[in-house]
Amino acid sequence: MSVAKHIIEVRNFTKKYGNFTAVKNISFTVDEGSIFAFLGPNGAGKSTTINTLCTIFDKTDGELIIDGKDVSSQKASVRSAIGVVFQDSTLDKKMTIEENLKMHCVFYKVPRNEVEERIRFVLTLVDLLDVRRKTVAALSGGMKRRVEIARGLIHYPKVLFLDEPTTGLDPQTRARVWEYVIKLQREKNITIFLTTHYMDEAEICSKVAVIDHGKIIAHDTPFNLKKHHTKDRAYVTTSNPLLLEKLLDERNIKHTLKEKYHRIDVENKADLLHILSECKGDISDIEIRKGTLNDVFLEITGREIREGSAS
Amino acid sequence: MRVIYALGIRNLKVFVRNRTALIFNLLFPFFFIFVFGEIFRNDFIENPVSFMLAGIIIATVFESSLRVSSNTIDDMTSGFMKEVLVSPISRLSIAIGQFVSSAVVATAQGIIIFVIGFFIGLRITSPLTIIYAISAMVFVGIVFAGFGLFIATKAKNIQTFQAVSLAITMPLTFLSGAYIPFAMLPDVLKWVGYFNPMTYAVALFRAITLEKTHLPTSELINEELAFKIGGVMIGPMEALGILLAFGIVFLLLSTLAFIRVDFSRMNRIKDDSIEI
Repeated sequence: MSVAKHIIEVRNFTKKYGNFTAVKNISFTVDEGSIFAFLGPNGAGKSTTINTLCTIFDKTDGELIIDGKDVSSQKASVRSAIGVVFQDSTLDKKMTIEENLKMHCVFYKVPRNEVEERIRFVLTLVDLLDVRRKTVAALSGGMKRRVEIARGLIHYPKVLFLDEPTTGLDPQTRARVWEYVIKLQREKNITIFLTTHYMDEAEICSKVAVIDHGKIIAHDTPFNLKKHHTKDRAYVTTSNPLLLEKLLDERNIKHTLKEKYHRIDVENKADLLHILSECKGDISDIEIRKGTLNDVFLEITGREIREGSAS
Repeated sequence: MRVIYALGIRNLKVFVRNRTALIFNLLFPFFFIFVFGEIFRNDFIENPVSFMLAGIIIATVFESSLRVSSNTIDDMTSGFMKEVLVSPISRLSIAIGQFVSSAVVATAQGIIIFVIGFFIGLRITSPLTIIYAISAMVFVGIVFAGFGLFIATKAKNIQTFQAVSLAITMPLTFLSGAYIPFAMLPDVLKWVGYFNPMTYAVALFRAITLEKTHLPTSELINEELAFKIGGVMIGPMEALGILLAFGIVFLLLSTLAFIRVDFSRMNRIKDDSIEI
């Protein structure tokens, strides 16, 4: 694989709101054409970073580069390289869905002869084609979100920022949107930068930065993160718990009794198989679960990622 | 150009779609005709209806232009401005788009009253007057859009803007001669009126509508279409100059303020808790 160019470079970025430091001295890079995710609970500093990268907020300190341009001093060039779906609504509520999308085409200089077709396409994607003449103010919250996403997908930027893009979407729309986002990334080589607290969304990213209290606490591929910070676990239900516990203790394998089943940390699969075969007559159920990115977060911070989450 | 046009059309649509406000805005000027109509029936004024209507048309253009500028505040607080500002279009074309759309909406409103005016006694003899009158409306609309946008960028929210714009609009319209003749004002207020740019917009527009721009300035003074302040005569041409100067100053100031204003701070006021 060739070495990809860093389309986003962030060095020692800090953002303060008065006395409150929202982002503390973070650094990371994003490869061109990759899908990069910020994973973390609400208030971790994800949106602050996105808003600063998008030229909407001013940084307090550090250096942020997109496509070779400085985010603070070359705002105009950065703006023409990016597309954003913000977390909060930025729709023109007095206008219809279609008018919102048309205005977006004007802002991003979509060629006139493509406007109609692209609007039709993105509205089909989020299943809003039939209501395109409705005023945004009259739409439900979920529909507004879909308009917002459709609008963000109309033009082809170099970097597409998606701040909690699929929050509030129904599963089918979410799946369709994701399918299209991945297609955009593959076919148009668009770099996707997203924030999420959905584990399954972070799983399909090229790289994930786990962020908490304004700091990046882990930054790697989802595979490596899970490999280094989580263990597979076996959940075993047995009619002879004493025997199972004895065998596990003999080999020094960590286990906990949870109601009816034992939770066993799997360090070595062969060992576990051996033990299980010894008490196979007693076992009524076995389930092996792979570590998830939520476990990664739990392992590093001691908290669940969705804990205290408002949305 | 595409951006300016699109923003202009957008604001025109907002204006037309708000039916209640539209009807109210169109009826309100006629209410003034009934209330103040009698005041202008005096010996100096040849055609009181035309005189009164001209004042009301231009005052409506002025008020409407200021009001449309307040849309900017609305857009800022509703989040739409974030979409506008993160896009690659230049700040200058956004500002120009605002001026033009304010002027377009204001002129549209002025024209409607102008047309209705024909049915209640407005008389003109030359078709050219219509062109001059419309040009003057566009001009006054743009001048005061600059003023309105300037206040808008200084105000942090819609409530402040409404309070401030009311505090400015009321004295500017009532001390401009549009509703109450200068002759009826006490000397102190007369002097305040002389420093009011609206005074000259009203005088200029009346001179155009009454088709008296060709008359010598001294003949216009009786009808308050020109003023003699101290020893200085201010006729239609001078009025045009004053408005032009006032307009340029505020167009520049508001464009600068608009380019520099910290919108992220404005958004943060609203989203503080959820945006971090």
